[in-house]
Amino acid sequence: MTTTPIRLQPPPVEPAPVVSVSAASHNAKMLEPAELSVELSGVNAFYGSRRVVRDISLPVRSNAITAIIGPSGCGKSTLLRCINRMHELTPGAHVEGRIEYHGIDLYAPDIDPVAVRRTIGMVFQQPNPFPTMSIHDNVAAPARFNGLIAGKAAEHDLVERCLRQAALWDEVKDKLKAGGTSLSGGQQQRLCIARALALEPDVLLMDEPCSALDPIATLQVENLMVELKRDYTIIIVTHNMQQASRVSDQTAFLTMGDDRAGYLVEMADTVEIFTNPRQQLTEDYVSGRFG
Amino acid sequence: MSSSALAVSDRLRATSRARHAKDRALMVLAWAALVVAVVPLVAIAWFLVEQGVRSISLEFFTSDPPGDLSASGGGIRNAVVGTLLMTGLATLIAVPAGIALAVFAREIGGRVAGSVRFVVDVLAGLPSIVVGIFVYSLVVVTTGHFSGLAGAVALAVIELPVIVVASDELLRLTDRRIDEGTRALGMLRWRSFLSVFIPTALSGIITGVLLAVSRAIGETAPLIFTALGNNFFTLDMNEPVQAMPLLIYRNALNSAFPAARDRAMGTALVLVVIVLAFNLMGRWIARRARPADQR
Repeated sequence: MTTTPIRLQPPPVEPAPVVSVSAASHNAKMLEPAELSVELSGVNAFYGSRRVVRDISLPVRSNAITAIIGPSGCGKSTLLRCINRMHELTPGAHVEGRIEYHGIDLYAPDIDPVAVRRTIGMVFQQPNPFPTMSIHDNVAAPARFNGLIAGKAAEHDLVERCLRQAALWDEVKDKLKAGGTSLSGGQQQRLCIARALALEPDVLLMDEPCSALDPIATLQVENLMVELKRDYTIIIVTHNMQQASRVSDQTAFLTMGDDRAGYLVEMADTVEIFTNPRQQLTEDYVSGRFG
Repeated sequence: MSSSALAVSDRLRATSRARHAKDRALMVLAWAALVVAVVPLVAIAWFLVEQGVRSISLEFFTSDPPGDLSASGGGIRNAVVGTLLMTGLATLIAVPAGIALAVFAREIGGRVAGSVRFVVDVLAGLPSIVVGIFVYSLVVVTTGHFSGLAGAVALAVIELPVIVVASDELLRLTDRRIDEGTRALGMLRWRSFLSVFIPTALSGIITGVLLAVSRAIGETAPLIFTALGNNFFTLDMNEPVQAMPLLIYRNALNSAFPAARDRAMGTALVLVVIVLAFNLMGRWIARRARPADQR
């Protein structure tokens, strides 16, 4: 195969920002543009003519975990899928507004959606390793297909590195040839994370990655996320408020409006959302009085 | 015992008796249906073995039939080889075309895919003699002569809808989650199909292909005026080629001659055994193609 990998421009090299949680100052929420990895402004998402996400603006900090919380059906997953241009794959679906990645408009006409998805990886609610591929191939194949690596040695290095990053290596190093679906649910999910990392993305979108996992596997994935944020920007959609409060640095709370479209109620540092929210709706949601 | 307890126990007995009777009646019906289905199957198999087995010998596979079909002796080598060659070529044509059509139908979706599926269904229901006429005018008239190639094209048309339907069903069953996974990894569509969807559906597709082969192997009508039949052994697909169903047909028509009748029976037995072998092989391959943990 002679495919040249199509990549977006590499993100500008910048030091990992020190995340300062100064709950007292509202200015803390006004992030410097340089710290932002992904920035959504006025995003609307539609299925046909039905709007499911209304006018959401969301600054996503680099090398941090951003949690998107909110009740079922408020458009959290849809919003996430707008970021790596997966939303438009649903027939009749489209996105309005602006989504920037390090200042690049991801919906500009000269941007290749396939390249966007290679740069902004995604992990799904249900672990979805490729059933006919071994553990090794699940990690190596997508990178091979995208022309990122060639040769057995390079593949092996990549597989080991990604499985180590996904905290799965020790559990599978002796059975790399076993089927990807022979693993437990939690292991499969970490395999999917390793598979996403193999494409060397910069941002990782996680759509309720732990909702199909038991508490121990959930904890493992959460610890992994905290590890990964050193190198990656993570955006996670979760139903689990404890999870959001445990792992995330900033939290966006969405809910459904009267028009049945999801909108952003409030976004702030996680500590602030959970201890000192500015909106009554947020307060009610995080304290379990609604949703 | 109180009266209310008695009433409860009566009610329990009455209900259970009526239900047991119904249950038994349905079991009897199910067994009867099984017998109705299995008896003809066993009868045909027994008839074939009983009538055909006496023709089977080494000579039956290594020599060609005598020019005069009322004469005894000779074999069906030309027909076995002809059938395998034509069916093989037909499969080589129909499998890529069929899978490509199924992939197309799945990928395009909507109204176009709907009409593709409709046309394929119509094709599946087409009487095979009509397929014969179609290929006759398409290939035989164009090339000016009957040929094994024309026979193979006719058999490919017979196989095509079976393969499309099987592949289409299986590709549609491919998990949406897997589909999204390939998209999110920036895999191009042809690559997803080649490396993920088709391997996932492979065992089912192989089963579909073998079903198609089994069906094509026994077809007579599409071959009558395409491959025509040939009393001599040939590997040249540009010439008329003999096939087992054609040989059965010609010999059974002349079953007044004991030699012809026996030859027809023996060939029928061989044909059934070949079809069975294809079926068993298909199951075996399908099991091996599945990932280890689903076997």
